[in-house]
Amino acid sequence: MINIENLSVRFDNSQVLQSINLDIPEGTWSCLVGPNGAGKTTLLRTMLGMQPYSGSIKYNDREIAKNKSLNIAFVPQRPSIPAAMSVAEYVMLGRAKLDGWGKESAHSRNIVHEMLEATQLLGMQSQLVTTLSGGEMQRVLIARALVQEPEVMLLDEPTSALDLHHQISVLNKVEEIKATGVTIISTMHDITLGAMYAERIIIMQSGRVLLDGESHSVIHSPELRSAFDDRVSVHTLENGRPVIIAAKLATGLDQGVI
Amino acid sequence: MKKNQIDHVWRWQITASAAVALLIACLLGVGFGPVNLGFGSIIRTLLGMPDGLENEDRTLLLELRLPRVVLGALVGAALATSGAVYQSVFRNPLADPYLLGVASGAGLGATIAITNGGGDLHALLPIFAFLGGVLAVAATFLVAGRLFADPSTLLLAGIAVGSFATAFQTYLQQRNSAALRPVYSWILGELTVANWDVVKWAGFYILIALAVLIRISKVLDALMLSDEEAYSLGVSPQKIRMIAVAAATLATATAVSASGLIGFVGIVVPHLVRGLTKRATNRSLLSIAFVGAAFLVIADLGARTLLSPAELPIGVITAFVGAPFFLFVLRARNRGNQ
Repeated sequence: MINIENLSVRFDNSQVLQSINLDIPEGTWSCLVGPNGAGKTTLLRTMLGMQPYSGSIKYNDREIAKNKSLNIAFVPQRPSIPAAMSVAEYVMLGRAKLDGWGKESAHSRNIVHEMLEATQLLGMQSQLVTTLSGGEMQRVLIARALVQEPEVMLLDEPTSALDLHHQISVLNKVEEIKATGVTIISTMHDITLGAMYAERIIIMQSGRVLLDGESHSVIHSPELRSAFDDRVSVHTLENGRPVIIAAKLATGLDQGVI
Repeated sequence: MKKNQIDHVWRWQITASAAVALLIACLLGVGFGPVNLGFGSIIRTLLGMPDGLENEDRTLLLELRLPRVVLGALVGAALATSGAVYQSVFRNPLADPYLLGVASGAGLGATIAITNGGGDLHALLPIFAFLGGVLAVAATFLVAGRLFADPSTLLLAGIAVGSFATAFQTYLQQRNSAALRPVYSWILGELTVANWDVVKWAGFYILIALAVLIRISKVLDALMLSDEEAYSLGVSPQKIRMIAVAAATLATATAVSASGLIGFVGIVVPHLVRGLTKRATNRSLLSIAFVGAAFLVIADLGARTLLSPAELPIGVITAFVGAPFFLFVLRARNRGNQ
């Protein structure tokens, strides 16, 4: 269980996060939603221990910043890709915290092998990471996060650079990871996709949590529309799934089932 | 059970080959010159065995060639390692050890020593050059403001500080035309001043700095990732960057104050080792140190023998090899980006 209590973060003179309170149960997927600058990425960075903060962020009643043995994997939106590093080496970095930097136990090499297989990267392990396509790189990032054997996995816009086919396969993979008990927190611009996978949506605006709850109820709430200045419109597909589209496109459509 | 297809990331054989290359380079370095010495007798002399070199040959080996080769090796190791470290810290494969103003600062320090030093020139020059280099890097950080807030701000600050120091140096040179020649020859790099005293103090600082860098080399991989990823892997990148830049600056400032400005070693050697081993820089840091040492010893051998009895400045040799190599790297990089 992650408990965030009264969390605030300041940059110089601006309040970037303001009194955030969240309880996130283990093995769930929460999706942070909100316009740019709402504080989603800052919340992830704070959880990684990068940002001085007031309040508390606890994992199983221990402050995250003081818990060195807790593994929080991070899948960045824009990774910095090192030159002359093979896929295997890059994924192996995920074991550094567990094994010590520069050491690779036989056990770690087995896990790297296993996770490359799980992400359909086996056969590419000697290829340099600089030569990968966007979809391959995303799989490499997921593989590296997996070998960390994390308790919590943070994903910053995991699908933003991918085509629809790769978006679905990445999200399906994350869903499998969640099923193993890992707590997932992601930011996603595509709220429709977010609501399809995450059981929980947290709407943020100007550093505050505007609304937080079960995906379907949040998505139909007026707060969602107000977070996006009423520029979005929510509809429901025949199978009951919600779809969020730009309000402009919705003129002439019935509010409700499409 | 399935065969594990994941290779070991590091192989000790790579480091061992680099060490052997360095030993061979050193043997060639002490063996050849205006007077050639036999390798057998060199080895016997160094190991204190009977039938070694005698008289002038012994003095030539122990008091002239050996300190020069050792200094060349130290400087080469310092420049190559610092270059590799700067490339990781700034996530830029073309970063070189003179990036943050060390070179121009040391140049200014050396020029101040040469124009005001009078008779004590050689005693004062290394200290002034060292201080100039370190102060210039400190000034770069001050100008850039928050430490490492943004690597590109830091690079631009380094360029500004460097230009300022160079302008000041040029002004001093113009005011003291007698200093032109010694300043010029210092800028081109020289190992001619090598003696055991220089080797001792330069070796002291360079080896300390290299020990620190090699100790943290494995964690340097984390600096090649984004800061968020580094934190997620349990590393505080700011701290590692501080230590890395401080140690690399100490090594570079010492190397520069002992031997002048020898260019391109810091770019050529890390790329060469990376290209040959197909391994990320940081795992190969010790190999890069060995290869850098070997490279400079061989370059110095060229400087001493190519136009013998005249000596070429060693910086000319490294630039002659380095500049085309630099362009080659640029080209390969551009092709990679396409």
